[in-house]
Amino acid sequence: MTAAGGTISLLIGAVLLRLTLTDTYRRYVRPELGPWLALAGAAVIVLGLVTLLWALRHGQEPDPNAHEHEHGVGPGWLLLAPIAALLLVAPPTLGSYGVDRAANVDIRSGARVFDPLTRTADPAPMGLLEFSQRAFEHDGASFNGAAMQLTGFAAGAEDRGFRLARYQIACCAADAAPVVVRVVGTAGDDPPRDQWVTVTGTFRPGGEELPELAATSIVEIPAPEDPYE
Amino acid sequence: MLAQFFRRIQAVSGTGTVNEARPGTVPARRLRSDMGVAVVVLVVVAAAVLRPLLEDLLDRPAVAHWATIFVSIALAAMPFLVLGVTISAAIAAFVSPGFLPRLLPDRPGLAVPVAAAAGAALPGCECGSVPIARRLMARGAPAAAALTFLLSSPAINPVVLVATAVAFPGQPEVVGARLLASLLAAIAVGLVWARFGGDTLLERARRGHTHEGRPLSVFAATAQHDLLQAGGLLIVGAATAATLQTAMPRSVLDTVSESGALSVLALAGLAVLMAICSEADAFVAASLTQFSLTSRLAFMVVGPMVDVKLIALQAGTFGGRFALRFAPLTFAAAVTSSVLVGWWLL
Repeated sequence: MTAAGGTISLLIGAVLLRLTLTDTYRRYVRPELGPWLALAGAAVIVLGLVTLLWALRHGQEPDPNAHEHEHGVGPGWLLLAPIAALLLVAPPTLGSYGVDRAANVDIRSGARVFDPLTRTADPAPMGLLEFSQRAFEHDGASFNGAAMQLTGFAAGAEDRGFRLARYQIACCAADAAPVVVRVVGTAGDDPPRDQWVTVTGTFRPGGEELPELAATSIVEIPAPEDPYE
Repeated sequence: MLAQFFRRIQAVSGTGTVNEARPGTVPARRLRSDMGVAVVVLVVVAAAVLRPLLEDLLDRPAVAHWATIFVSIALAAMPFLVLGVTISAAIAAFVSPGFLPRLLPDRPGLAVPVAAAAGAALPGCECGSVPIARRLMARGAPAAAALTFLLSSPAINPVVLVATAVAFPGQPEVVGARLLASLLAAIAVGLVWARFGGDTLLERARRGHTHEGRPLSVFAATAQHDLLQAGGLLIVGAATAATLQTAMPRSVLDTVSESGALSVLALAGLAVLMAICSEADAFVAASLTQFSLTSRLAFMVVGPMVDVKLIALQAGTFGGRFALRFAPLTFAAAVTSSVLVGWWLL
């Protein structure tokens, strides 16, 4: 057990706790993992403290066979790279770069029959996945002409309108799969790539490969706390 | 209380009341220890100075994509890694060396299937099971049984099976096929290893890093050692997987999906390169609809057993020569059993 090893453990724990306390971890993993990250962070901090205090008190490992036992930090040094990076700049949420690379979500895999929406004056927020699934089921019969709000990021211009996307993640961003909707009927310029927007509008049938939303308003927003669906 | 604990930890390292006894050696060690801390501080300070550079880099979409995937793989693995390290340390501290060999049947033909079934008891993903398998070996479990456990536990534990059922609604046969194919592959590898695998390859793990002393101090020393060891190797794997995910164009996926029988191999290869956690890979498999069910089964059977981060972990833990034999053997067994089970059940 070495002071360097203890310090690295302390830093790991500090990064984990900081990410959970600031909710930044939601950019990388499912919100459900939050308590477990905090627990792991606390455990690693305790371990690091015990090691560090011991090492500072007693100097380096007083084991005469130290050279045989690999008591050093070893590959643990590599942990410093993500720690240092995360303490300074947190990488952003996944953006449009991955939309063209990942396999899109299979909308049919969750296919179910939806209750028809009711038309209200106040359009309700809806996930992109639900929007796509409703669009797929009986050509969007369940929309019943009701308006809704979709939140996602702009993922590039189309022949008409632009693509609105949001990722589904099952565990962490490495398994992210995008859901893509085409937004049409916008006046003025499309939002810049990767800009988060809330779009209000109604379903428009006949979008072929992508479901279409006929927009009535587009509001640019900062990236949400929970960037994934 | 704390002082007592430190004395216990000191006892672990085998020499007890030592520093005063050999005064001549202390300054050199102290120096090395201070050097270590200095390096840690240096890295953190350097990163702080380079912060604007880092921010500029993250303005490039590809770099940002890489960094996000890299961080997310490492982050999602942490709770499981800590769980695995805790169990590994508990085995080192509280299980007597003779206990595990007595628990398992003597004949490898029986010990291997028992170890495969025991994998169902550990609800984690693959990152946690490597330190556990190593600890099992160091505690005297037969290598073949420990390796079988290493392969089966991330593939067939309840959390993974439930996730699979959720990802493939209305298709319980996929869950059954995954369970069966994973068990078969793990047992096959275990039996082959028991018959042909040289134990000399695993000398390093068996001699390993075993502490002696009071249980609590063994626990702390083992946990610290395993965390840094496995954590560092995990970083290598996460960086590799992030690089592949960032660099691989979508067209590769579309091309291999049209390659018929080859698509089984293609998805198995994809599982190796993507290194997705075994608790999430079913959702990715479900989304790969352009592929046949059997090739998606291969994706789910191979992924928890062989992938770039596991290869890095295994090479670092058990040695490169071991990983060079073990990874291809496991890959072949996983693909074969997926094809057989897929042909029968799906």
